Amino acid sequence: MRRNLFVLAAMTLALALMVTAGVVNFLHRRAGQRARMRGPQLTLVPENASGSANPPVATDTSDAGAPTPLEGKPAPAFTLVDLSGKKVSLESYRGHPLVVDFWATWCGPCKVEIPWFEKLHDQYAGQGLEILGLSTDDLDKDDPARLFTEKRDIADFAQKMHMNYPVLLNGESVEDAYGLEAYPTTFYIDRTGKVVASTVGLVPLDEIESDIKKAMGAAS
Amino acid sequence: MRRLTLAPVLLAACAALLAPALSAQKLPWQTGNGQPGMNAQLVHFLYPQQVTLRAGKPATILLHFRVEQGLHINSHTPPAKSLIGTDLKVPNPEGFTVTALDFPPGAAYAFPAFPSEKLSVYTGEFVVTMHLTAQPGNHLLQGMLRYQACDTNTCFPPRNATVPIDIVAQ
Repeated sequence: MRRNLFVLAAMTLALALMVTAGVVNFLHRRAGQRARMRGPQLTLVPENASGSANPPVATDTSDAGAPTPLEGKPAPAFTLVDLSGKKVSLESYRGHPLVVDFWATWCGPCKVEIPWFEKLHDQYAGQGLEILGLSTDDLDKDDPARLFTEKRDIADFAQKMHMNYPVLLNGESVEDAYGLEAYPTTFYIDRTGKVVASTVGLVPLDEIESDIKKAMGAAS
Repeated sequence: MRRLTLAPVLLAACAALLAPALSAQKLPWQTGNGQPGMNAQLVHFLYPQQVTLRAGKPATILLHFRVEQGLHINSHTPPAKSLIGTDLKVPNPEGFTVTALDFPPGAAYAFPAFPSEKLSVYTGEFVVTMHLTAQPGNHLLQGMLRYQACDTNTCFPPRNATVPIDIVAQ
């Protein structure tokens, strides 16, 4: 009798574990599929697949859009200069929902997001939305001629991309405070100066818009 | 008795099914988003660590590098001025002279979003050919590979990887 009970208990436990494993597997697979569907449909493709000796670049997007540790904390203060040389402080944007986007001229994924920020800047300007683009391009402060060229290149890039929001130079100087590891990295800051969302890497337009709505205090 | 022998088999089967499911989940203590840190190397110098060559004669060393899987770096000759090309800086201390460096051509890639903007990239392993002449003796070559890596969604700041080679010229 005791043996039968033991076998029955073991089989019940085994069945429960199998069901649990199945459900966990299913949920994980479904979450992965959803993440892939949400991910930016952007891949690097060889121009001539047959002509390339190198393997194709992987297109895993699972890490894109991951939040940063700053979420829920006050955005670190900074004062930088814009393309015209005017000082711009984060503090001066207090009271506005704000997007702070770290980018670089050499960053391909950044170039995909910038037109989306331009569009959303126009779309939500009436609700006070402001966007700051912090260029992290190297600036050679010891060589005035080179510094001039580097600043001009950033300005040319901003003009070519039709950036309709302030571009600040030397974003590198606040990288540590913002814990940057890669570009683009974007912080969504509410009217009180708190980071309410952040993303690392290229994320879909609807996710950017949803984060902007969080910064505006509206339901996404 | 037969029933009793079934129990451990079933339990083992369950454990086998459960293990991958649990390992696939991000557990509470597994923090981070999988991005390499700001200073982590994304390109690795593979070999050679030591070479022996004839003193006073022109010699060639093939320097092997590997780009981390899923990443690409710009080739030595990126097609746009704004892109940061891969370069190798080699000091010329007493004892040897680097006469030339040959970089491989990059593979052509383009973002579908910008089909007209071509990239020239290295992925996987690539080899830089160094031409040099060394005087008799042991010399430590301390090269520095500068590169800028991206994947399809993120780009990483330019980094420098050290390239140390012990040169024995006889």
